[in-house]
Amino acid sequence: MFETGPNWRRDVAFGAILVAVMIAIPFLGPSRYLIGQLTLFFLWATVVSQWNLVFGVGGIFSLAQMAIFAFGGFATGMMGLYLGISLWIALPLAGIGSILFSLLIGLACLRLRGPYVALLTLAIAQVMYLLIITDTACFYMEGVTCRNFTGGTRGLSKFGDFGFREMLGRREYLKGDYYLALFLLSLALVFSFAIIRSPLGFAFRALRDNPEYGISRGLNRFKYQLLVFAMTAFFTGLAGGVFAGHFRVIGANVLSLPLLLFLISMMVVGGLGRAWGPILGAALVMLADEGMKDFVEIRNMGYGALIVAIVVLLPQGAAGGLEQVWGWLLRSLRRLRGEPGPPAAGRAGTGRRE
Amino acid sequence: MDTVVQIIVSGLTLGAMYAASAIGLSLVWGAMGVLNMAHGALLTIGGYASYSAVLQLGLPWYLGLPAAMIVSFVVGLAIYHIIFRFMYRHPAFETNVIIATVGLAIFLEQVTLLIYGAYPFPQPFSIEEGFYVSSVFVRFQNVLILILAVVTMLLVAALLSRTRMGRAIRATALNREAAQLMGVNVGRVFAQVMGIAGVVAAVSGVMLSSITTLAPTMGYDPMLKAFIICVIAGLGNVPGALVAAFVLGLFEAVVQFAVGVRFGFPALLALVIVALIWRPYGVFGRRQVRRV
Repeated sequence: MFETGPNWRRDVAFGAILVAVMIAIPFLGPSRYLIGQLTLFFLWATVVSQWNLVFGVGGIFSLAQMAIFAFGGFATGMMGLYLGISLWIALPLAGIGSILFSLLIGLACLRLRGPYVALLTLAIAQVMYLLIITDTACFYMEGVTCRNFTGGTRGLSKFGDFGFREMLGRREYLKGDYYLALFLLSLALVFSFAIIRSPLGFAFRALRDNPEYGISRGLNRFKYQLLVFAMTAFFTGLAGGVFAGHFRVIGANVLSLPLLLFLISMMVVGGLGRAWGPILGAALVMLADEGMKDFVEIRNMGYGALIVAIVVLLPQGAAGGLEQVWGWLLRSLRRLRGEPGPPAAGRAGTGRRE
Repeated sequence: MDTVVQIIVSGLTLGAMYAASAIGLSLVWGAMGVLNMAHGALLTIGGYASYSAVLQLGLPWYLGLPAAMIVSFVVGLAIYHIIFRFMYRHPAFETNVIIATVGLAIFLEQVTLLIYGAYPFPQPFSIEEGFYVSSVFVRFQNVLILILAVVTMLLVAALLSRTRMGRAIRATALNREAAQLMGVNVGRVFAQVMGIAGVVAAVSGVMLSSITTLAPTMGYDPMLKAFIICVIAGLGNVPGALVAAFVLGLFEAVVQFAVGVRFGFPALLALVIVALIWRPYGVFGRRQVRRV
């Protein structure tokens, strides 16, 4: 699980280097395609890092993360389109709206346990999807064409963007979205680490390691789960809003099953509940996606097979696998030097560090 | 009068199909603790197997269903032997297996897409003729669906309560460790359960595609609804799932008629959420008291 020991310095240093490199990349003159893909990577990494908090730390088997993402995106777009306000104002409002939306879902679902939560949250996402794509009622007329409230199957568009086009010009505007997404990811990461090291994080550790004792000491699982569910919804919703602003369109396709699978595979490949798992996983899966780009037909098949293989063969994910290799290297190094290694090093791969 | 007949016919048909999907899910959950997200894919495979058997191999239409049952049976067994067998001893099995079966579901769906394409086919295992109840036309297919569902359920119930295999399955569901200590081969029980689930899924897949069309994603929605039914009944509760399936099928038919087709599923979900706030372990579910 998450590390709370002295290694957090290593985590902070690693995070700082990562962000510094990402800030520098646009100055090295990369292609527009790379900038676009990295922007998307930041957004997915944000979603997955929050999902990881919900799932890996909070122990909530939520499949509603993309519903919250979609809510944030649609809320941003609708406020921009129907109220005519700047997306910069709409975005934080959508974030707050996402918190309320997730509270509703949480109140309905979190009294249940394990698989029941997964089922109900998935059903909520699917209902949202169906209601959007079957939306055919005219909400307003655009010339002679009838537009639906949610955009229907075509998706919601024409709500503008974050204004980088005017600010930076047609050639450079993608970098604005890039830095906005990077900023969001950095905030989300800082938030994740703060949560893990907060009393809330310790409460979850207690509930996970010894639920009976934790509950008898007055830890209320429902309350804590609802709290972490709502807090992570903020960044998930913001990611949805930035996604909408970046692509200038948001549609029901963000609720599709393949996309859900794409994001779950990031979490699983990286290693569930591991601090850097989501980032590593998002990077690996997006790289694999690049590799499979020429094989459109078997792309989703590839994800499916990949997830099954990882869950069966490497339940700790790539981050867990790396830790194992790292622990093994350290131990053999010590053995070479003739030092007696600390006994705890041998348990690096078990996923639990006390 | 006509609308009442219409609603009852479509409600019973829906309920029968949901029931057939739900018992497969419920059985797998009850015996193995597996939330099988690939159940929808098993449904789809069954539907397409019937299509292939009749239109590509040239078998008579009524052999479509047995062909589908055989194919889905084999796929169910394969899922156990390729995936579950290596996982079920892991402590985090219950959560890991959900993710694995989501992956499997997409994999199987894509394989179907690759073989058959996205173009929707009609299901050959179907009777076009029908009869009139007052002035409402009822297809024989709807009657066939109801009969098939009831027969399937009776067979599964008999299998569980009358046979040695059924006893082993029930023992494993009740307490895996104790069953193992009594000499039950748990691995074999799991394989059998997956096989049965495959057969039952094939039946509901063929029925479902006979009133809609065959499509690679056709299993997903009914699977979600079957899940909802299992949630209401309490996961693993097979008789409860039957009652819930018919009640919810009728409820959905009423809402579809009264409010509009697109609100059927949302209304179903709202009902379930209300029910679960009232009884968090399912309407027919027992409260699980865990001893420390």
